[in-house]
Amino acid sequence: MAENVRIAFPPTTAVAELSFTRARTVPWYVWSSALAVTSTTVGLYWDISWHIGVGRDTFWTPAHLAIQFGAVLTGFCCAYLILHTTFAPEAAAREHSVRIWGFHGPLGAFIAAWGGFCMLTSAPFDNWWHNSFGLDVTILSPPHVVLILGIFVMGLGGLILTTSRMNLSTGENRDKLNWLLLYNGSLLLCLLLMLGYEYIGDQTLMHSAIYYRVLGMIVPVLLVGIGRASGSRWAATTLAAIYTFLWLAGNWIVPLFPARAKLGPVFTPITHMVPLGFPVLILPGAMVLDVVLNRFASRSDAQKALVGGAGFMAVSLAVNWPFVYFMMSSHARNWIFAMNQFSYSTPPSQYHQAWTLTAYEQTRVEFWVGMLIALAATMLSMRVGMLWGDWMRRICR
Amino acid sequence: MRTYGLAILLLTLSSSVYAHVGSPEVYFEGDAGPYRLLVKVSPPAMVPGIAQVQVRVTSGAVGSISAAPVYLNGKDQGLPPAADSLQLSAADPQWFTGKVWMMESGSWEVRVEVAGTQGTGKLAVPVPVFARRTLPMEKALGALLFGLMLFLSIGIVSIVGTAAREGGLQAAATPSPRDRRLGRIAMVFATVLVASILALGNWWWNAQAADLKQRVLYSTPPLHASLNRMDAGTEHGADQLALRIDEDFWHKTRKNQWSMSLIPDHGHLMHLFLLRVPAIDRFYHLHPEQTSDGSFTVMLPAMPGGKYRIFADIVRGTGFPETLVSEIDLPNVKGEPFSGDDSGVAAPAFESLGTPVNVAQLCDGGRMIWEQDTGELKAGQVSWFRFRVEDAENRPVNDLEPYMGMAGHAEFVRSDLSVFAHVHPAGSVPMASLMIVQQDLGLPMDHSSTRSLPAEVSFPYGFPQPGEYRLFVQVKRHGHVETGVFDAHVRN
Repeated sequence: MAENVRIAFPPTTAVAELSFTRARTVPWYVWSSALAVTSTTVGLYWDISWHIGVGRDTFWTPAHLAIQFGAVLTGFCCAYLILHTTFAPEAAAREHSVRIWGFHGPLGAFIAAWGGFCMLTSAPFDNWWHNSFGLDVTILSPPHVVLILGIFVMGLGGLILTTSRMNLSTGENRDKLNWLLLYNGSLLLCLLLMLGYEYIGDQTLMHSAIYYRVLGMIVPVLLVGIGRASGSRWAATTLAAIYTFLWLAGNWIVPLFPARAKLGPVFTPITHMVPLGFPVLILPGAMVLDVVLNRFASRSDAQKALVGGAGFMAVSLAVNWPFVYFMMSSHARNWIFAMNQFSYSTPPSQYHQAWTLTAYEQTRVEFWVGMLIALAATMLSMRVGMLWGDWMRRICR
Repeated sequence: MRTYGLAILLLTLSSSVYAHVGSPEVYFEGDAGPYRLLVKVSPPAMVPGIAQVQVRVTSGAVGSISAAPVYLNGKDQGLPPAADSLQLSAADPQWFTGKVWMMESGSWEVRVEVAGTQGTGKLAVPVPVFARRTLPMEKALGALLFGLMLFLSIGIVSIVGTAAREGGLQAAATPSPRDRRLGRIAMVFATVLVASILALGNWWWNAQAADLKQRVLYSTPPLHASLNRMDAGTEHGADQLALRIDEDFWHKTRKNQWSMSLIPDHGHLMHLFLLRVPAIDRFYHLHPEQTSDGSFTVMLPAMPGGKYRIFADIVRGTGFPETLVSEIDLPNVKGEPFSGDDSGVAAPAFESLGTPVNVAQLCDGGRMIWEQDTGELKAGQVSWFRFRVEDAENRPVNDLEPYMGMAGHAEFVRSDLSVFAHVHPAGSVPMASLMIVQQDLGLPMDHSSTRSLPAEVSFPYGFPQPGEYRLFVQVKRHGHVETGVFDAHVRN
């Protein structure tokens, strides 16, 4: 069938040469994209820490600058890349690109630029929101959602910039790009888990269905999607390991910096920056996903999603359920597990609430219904991840 | 006894009227150790928000000043955050400015610490904080954000279409008809998705804004006023004004956070002001007593009939002051002579753009003179309003007595009644609130004037907006309260 033939005519020599060069190098914009997502992720972690430790929030806090640096860097790099591709003298450059509104460039560049632009748009919106409705007391306000959307789309653009090059590469260069893909993916996972921090960052909910609903919804799609795009056997495990390492590093480095609460009333005196809490234990679940995807490679994706989703949920429960007993105990109240770290606004009389399991669902029926939803969400999340990953594997431009 | 409670027109004004009625700025003059300071705090219009702090050093050589906010909820109020240094004005070495962050509605204390050549000192200023308004979006910003939204929406639809059409093509390949169809389908889906997200976002935005307005925006509790005519038509007939304070949403939702009970200010739970409108030619300062059911009653003095605007000053248990507003139509009231701390005055009808009045005749034959500086009055400008009391022979008196513990009381009223401020020589802060914050800071609490008072009394204050104002200045002499009435024109 003619429709299945995507190459309408043989590539020219120039295109072939360019393709050869591209297959052997990691281009600068992949590095800059990784740097931008790193800056934004570090900025967001820093910002949450700033809110719970220092409190005072202006556009010019270092954390906000780190977040917006990612947007500005992405904007400049992608704009340059698109303009350079569009107006480059050699036509071959444009034959590796997509065309939008008359401009040529890698698909990931357009997506990342859109994300960066969206992030920058949120700045005047957020400023007006503060003036109109008061300074921030919640994470999910309309301008913050615009910012978060921009951050994720920027990150997605970075992933696509990387995968589009990876799909054209072989050997050592592909391995390098694969590591960058997994690194970018782990940063996106950090961002997603920060977004769900209200539930997933609250250890007291680890015996509630809501915890597993959020976990099942947001984690498998990313692990499986990037795992598929990566193609390596232990991609999900590697990605989860990088996330765990980065989060732990943040937790252990951040308190080394002195800080003081600048908002009152201060119920817990702050002497240093406050970490966000122990990372979510997703590593065992990620290993299950890899095992299922490898072992059941010949089965349909729907079957893989059913088995993998169930496996992910079972292992997550088996690990988290008993682990929280340790987290609630006095043994976790140290710098390693950070269960002794509190916001300036938490009175000591309320510390015990962080060390006592809370039932989010009020009845047993609610709990089991919630767990069923969690299971279904995990399977669906995994299936969506496979579709997304397959699409990313096909991206060549 | 016959009661005509609600037979008299009862009108409760909109609960959106501001507390302290149009004059949210706080003025306080006091001693910080060896230094004399005049502090002005402009609370944020929205909470959480940033308050502006201005300090004028009126005596002493001060090197640095810092300020920190403390939240007073009547319970465990925590510690203040790190203090912020106020910046010294380049133009005026006695003038310091800075900011403090207020994160909750309610009663706050701004703690001011001073260091200078005579050592250190500190004082505390009570500041009521409440959200007064949301900010409408400026047209230019709205147009910019709308343009950006359109650009981003069209952009993402184009990107999705292109991704589906060309994303998987090998180098130099052109999209097949199938790719193009796929791209178009993707664009349709993306358009529907983007439109849905925008519609959902718009709904969510409106819901958030409405929720914030309801939860955060301050409203005064409704004040219901009625007249009880007891033994009307008889020689001993008397008229009693009854006031009932209702609860509104803002106060109901804060019951658990801080004390809603009332505390006495100058020995009274309520300071009630009645102004006949629109002429503002009668002024009464009364002190109702609370009854067992929580409402307030006061026997009215002799008053001519007419429509009266009611301003009722109360202070909550945390030191949070409020001015409740209502209105009532009164018939001619035979009334009784003033007793206790109650007082009143008759004045000529207030004429907008009339000649400013600087001299007021007093009932005892003396007079009160407003000692104005030569410059014109400007809105937003902090200044001392100085008044000298003279006897019938135009000699400054030396026998003024404290009136409810103060050298004087002054009420500033804008001609349209959009501003009503009750000010003392220490400023616009209620003494009850001041005592709470000074107790919190461990400072001496007695601000009452018991020593012999000079002939001059002054009030630090700034008009919040331009317009025509009437000032009622009250002092006590020979056991009687004398009220001077002055008119002022305030420019922008």
